[in-house]
Amino acid sequence: MRVLVIEDDREHADFIEKVLGEAGHAVETVADGVGGLTRAREEAFDALVVDRMLPEKPGLQLVEEFRNGGGTTPALFLSALSDVDNRVEGLKVGADDYLAKPFAPEELVARVEALGRRQITGEPPVTVLTVGDLEMNLLSRIVMRGETKIDLQPREFKLLEYLMRHAGQTVTRTMLLEKVWGYHFDPQTNVIDVHISRLRAKIDKEFDQQLLQTVRGSGYCLQA
Amino acid sequence: MKSGPFAFVRTTTFRLALVYSVLFALFSAGLLAYLFQATVGAGRAEVKSRLESEFRTLAVAWNTGGPTRLEQSLLERSLVQIRDFTYQFEAADGGIIQGDMPHMPVAPPDTVGDVREVHFEVERPISGSAPEISRIEARITRLGDGSTLLVGIKTDDRVRAVRRVTQAVATAAPIGILLALLGGFFSSRYAARRAEALTKTAEAVMRGDLSQRVDVVGSGDEFDRLAGNLNDMLSRLEKLMETTRHAGDSIAHDLRSPLSRLRNRLEATLRGPIDEVSARQTLEHTVDEVDRVLSTFNAILSLSRVNAGSDQAFEKVNITELAEEMAELFEPACEEASLSFDASIESDLLVKGDMPLLAQAMSNLLDNAVKYTPAGGAIKLSATKRDKRVLVIVEDSGPGIPPEAYERVMRRFVRLDEARTQTGSGLGLALVDAVAELHKGEVILAPGGTDDAPRGLKVTLALPRDR
Repeated sequence: MRVLVIEDDREHADFIEKVLGEAGHAVETVADGVGGLTRAREEAFDALVVDRMLPEKPGLQLVEEFRNGGGTTPALFLSALSDVDNRVEGLKVGADDYLAKPFAPEELVARVEALGRRQITGEPPVTVLTVGDLEMNLLSRIVMRGETKIDLQPREFKLLEYLMRHAGQTVTRTMLLEKVWGYHFDPQTNVIDVHISRLRAKIDKEFDQQLLQTVRGSGYCLQA
Repeated sequence: MKSGPFAFVRTTTFRLALVYSVLFALFSAGLLAYLFQATVGAGRAEVKSRLESEFRTLAVAWNTGGPTRLEQSLLERSLVQIRDFTYQFEAADGGIIQGDMPHMPVAPPDTVGDVREVHFEVERPISGSAPEISRIEARITRLGDGSTLLVGIKTDDRVRAVRRVTQAVATAAPIGILLALLGGFFSSRYAARRAEALTKTAEAVMRGDLSQRVDVVGSGDEFDRLAGNLNDMLSRLEKLMETTRHAGDSIAHDLRSPLSRLRNRLEATLRGPIDEVSARQTLEHTVDEVDRVLSTFNAILSLSRVNAGSDQAFEKVNITELAEEMAELFEPACEEASLSFDASIESDLLVKGDMPLLAQAMSNLLDNAVKYTPAGGAIKLSATKRDKRVLVIVEDSGPGIPPEAYERVMRRFVRLDEARTQTGSGLGLALVDAVAELHKGEVILAPGGTDDAPRGLKVTLALPRDR
């Protein structure tokens, strides 16, 4: 993926560049809002990572102007302001995700990669998701692993759907709590892990090939 | 407001009292005028008409029967014991023919047929006391043969009544006005004094003494309500200031230990031989430790935001749905920790509030329950309504908290010794408490189980119900 990082703090920018670079992405960095908006318009990046507090043009304004100008590149806000209100503000102007500083490097990579996947637009809406021999029909809400029908609770269905939509990517616990449950806090206990292991018991236990993998230190990945 | 002996003059109350005194004086004057008109005016008219008709009756007697007939009539009248009328009939030479008085009290007209209206006073001696003075309204005329006739009527009762009313009003009005002024003076001095108390407290607070409070005298009036509200406001301010002040200390204290641990580890690594393995290990530990510090900072930040928060953005929150979601979220974690989980959630539980914060608060309570309840125990989440409140109750069968520590554990950074082995910032319950306070609710700690067999801990988050 080609990622444009708009961040004025040199050290932060270097860190982001390093983390995303290690994950195999090409990163370009701009240190101010006006330059960032120009670059975002000039070239088709796969994702934008925008700091909220930028010299010359604040991040909120940048993304808003970019969207108003017809820019569709998915954008992720980075900000020290992690309030729910701030988050809502960020999403309202057209950002696709919001990550509070400080963040774990894996979290950033997972979220940026999730953004890249969202880019595919203009295709007819997907009705069937497939990962290996695991198949989810979004209309009939039937999940099959090979010839076996798998019964899922509504929340498990949502969880699996999210994992299947991001198949091959690492998704973190906080991403799951945010996207599947809609909560923005950090539970002290391993609530998400337990839900994952329940899901795993249903889709993987009886089978040779394990689709749902734990990515040590960061989260989970559903992969054939 | 400046104080001073005449400060009350400038108060609203005193001005009102002044206005009312003037109004009262005007009213009294009006009442007096009306009374005068109603009694004296009407009485005079009546006296006049009675006098008129009596005079005419006697005139008729004169016309029909001359002096003899008139004398006869007057004689008859003089036999009546109690009467208002008084008569005097004198011959042309001044000799009394018939009469109540020793002589004609006023000079009669010279021309025959003239009638004059006169009034005069007569004294009637009363033994052992001052003579009674009667006021007489009279008609006097000269008859055809030169004799004179006077017909008078006593007006005493009327006059006395009027005088009494006039006197009463004249006495009462100044007293009333005086009382009104006095009342105005006292009530305005009271108001001035109470306003002065408010001002003094405000000034003391402005100088930085937040412990000052306004006296609530218990009269339940608007001053008491104002003072009460002001005191509540001051208490909240003081609490906030204190929290802020203490937070600084606590943060310093709480963050010092991980930072000194960190420093020691780095120092130790620097002193020894540095190889790839030990360096990596130290760095990993460092990242963990710093992550903990950062998450504590995040917790402090969200707590401060809640403390400084307002209910401006409150929306309808369905506690039933939220609790069901929480149950669903935590149920597997309980099972994983070998705890039985039970949820009993009533339908239609609505509050006005901040959904994310309420979710966070409930999650904190369930987190605590899962963390501190040993395997094999039980956790119960219930949501119910009682009176005007919605209660969210998390009950566990863990070791519980001694009642004397209830208040302490709600404070920031307070962790009981038993809890030190678990990870945590010591801000979980403080946040729940802050969220409750923001929602004008409260957090109640109590032993779980039954009264006979208490066990574990029961935390109740009580929130005001919507509608």
